[in-house]
Amino acid sequence: MLLFGLDLDYVLVVVLFCVGLYMLVSKSNLLKKLLGLNVMETAVFAFIVTSGMIEGGDPPILVAGTAAPYASPIPQAMVLTGIVVAVSVTAVALALIVQIHAHFGTIEVDELKELP
Amino acid sequence: MNAGWAEALPWTIVLPMVGAVLTPAVAARRPRLAGTWAWGVLLVASALASGLVYQLATTGPFSYDVGGWAQPYGIELRFDHFSAWVLPLLLLFVVIVPFSWRYLDHVMPDERRPAFYALLLLNAGGMIGFCVTGDFFNLFVFTEVVSLSSYALVAVGGRGLAAFAALKYLFIGAVSSLLMLFATAQLFALTGSLNMADVAGRLADVGGGPAVMVAFAAYAVSFMVKTAMFPVHVWLPDAHAIAPSPVSAVLSGMVVKIGIIGMLRVYQVFFAADVLELGAFNQTLVWFGAISIVMGAFFAIFQDDIKLMLAYSTISNIGYIVLGLGLASPYAVIGASVHVFNHALIKATLFLAAGAIIHQTGLRTLSDLRGIARRMPQTSAAMAVGAVSIVGLPPTAGFVCKWYIALGAFESGQAPFGFALVFGALFIFIYYVRMLNAFYFQEPVHDVVIEANEAPWSMRAPVIVLATLCLVLGVLGGIPLSFVEPAVLELLPFWGN
Repeated sequence: MLLFGLDLDYVLVVVLFCVGLYMLVSKSNLLKKLLGLNVMETAVFAFIVTSGMIEGGDPPILVAGTAAPYASPIPQAMVLTGIVVAVSVTAVALALIVQIHAHFGTIEVDELKELP
Repeated sequence: MNAGWAEALPWTIVLPMVGAVLTPAVAARRPRLAGTWAWGVLLVASALASGLVYQLATTGPFSYDVGGWAQPYGIELRFDHFSAWVLPLLLLFVVIVPFSWRYLDHVMPDERRPAFYALLLLNAGGMIGFCVTGDFFNLFVFTEVVSLSSYALVAVGGRGLAAFAALKYLFIGAVSSLLMLFATAQLFALTGSLNMADVAGRLADVGGGPAVMVAFAAYAVSFMVKTAMFPVHVWLPDAHAIAPSPVSAVLSGMVVKIGIIGMLRVYQVFFAADVLELGAFNQTLVWFGAISIVMGAFFAIFQDDIKLMLAYSTISNIGYIVLGLGLASPYAVIGASVHVFNHALIKATLFLAAGAIIHQTGLRTLSDLRGIARRMPQTSAAMAVGAVSIVGLPPTAGFVCKWYIALGAFESGQAPFGFALVFGALFIFIYYVRMLNAFYFQEPVHDVVIEANEAPWSMRAPVIVLATLCLVLGVLGGIPLSFVEPAVLELLPFWGN
């Protein structure tokens, strides 16, 4: 589907990426920053999945009646690995945020910066 | 044992990773055993790595198909002259780990040691994997292994502030990793392959165009963040200064270098494909490199905290390497490739010596540490050797590379950058002279400094070994230079100049 001569899915991916980047840069709350990061990750994953799509392609599973062209299965494997990585990053970030909260009693960056 | 060493390639990655996972189990009863265990694992891994380098020296670059799946469908591990960096990397780990045995006493309680060493081993395994993989997606995965363990290592010793520095590092690092994943996906969408050699071949068919340019740019930005070049360096100083000293040595010396190695890998692919006119990009690298040299040195002058000063000095030295790569003349690129290792060695010397001083006195600023050389002569001498080395005075390890990079600047007719390099060295000279002046020629102001003792041997020995190596490599500097030369000359004809 085209929008202003561009593929709609790519436009959406770019918009989603920018929304995430905006959250990451502009929000003061560390948790919201982390959510922004997750939105960006989702945008990249969506891009990878769409890149494996082939117009009119069959799923790459061998059963009777399937014929070429096949959709590429590799992007899904990539996204699966990417999700695992993203979850680990989120887990480490959450652990750090918990530690920051326990020590300073706040997770707002502007308040953290004012601390001595 | 000729072709046999290729079989050791996957084990060199797997061994530290499995060792990392087993660390908490091995050290369950006696947490202090974790350090010895990690050291043993790294020793075995370095033995394997020396076998790999021996094979490389005798038969040239070689590959290993993981699981026996043929390329380009299977995952390829490839060992070439740039991968040879895994051997010095592992040897540095072997020296740094014994230092951390005693150093951790005042950093963390005993029961957290297994986690620390597990992270360190994971970090080593990730970097080895990063250097030897021949597959773009694996490059991303190994980057994340290295990055995640680095974030955790920054936070491992301290409380709130360390966690905040680590989180800042994590946010910036994660965005750069995302860019890398995006670039990988873009290349996959364009070529339908992830194997580096295969992508290079297919890119030549795809041709140039904005899509290829976007992929290249995403890689370039991602690696620039990972190496902490000047405009995107903000995460580095806090993270490297607040981490425990052995970790600072690993992060500053080695982890930032994955950006450089990654850049070289991407260069290899894009130049082999010959689809982009990269002269303008090289020029950008040269400028960013020169700015990093000057700004890193400039900020370092105003630091009172010795570790913060060393962290800023890393930014300036990364500038040297990037400048050398961008100049794209044989001398400069050879010098830059060797400086990847020599800077790791020098920075490990400096951070470990600084760590020994901090461990013995509990102080970390230049004004507090005045006169420390009287009580800790050997550590201070090592620090002095490191300082002379990083300024780039002969006959030390730093001189050889910086000399080559400067020669390259003049050789490629970009003399102003040669002068920028010399002025950068002068700046660096100023702040290390400040440090040596405080250590050697000023009166102590603190009782701790007057009563300080030389560090225990398990900390002093690594520092002395590293400082000696700085001097030895200054005299025998030609060996690593001639080692990378064939790889660089093979790459250069494609280098967009």
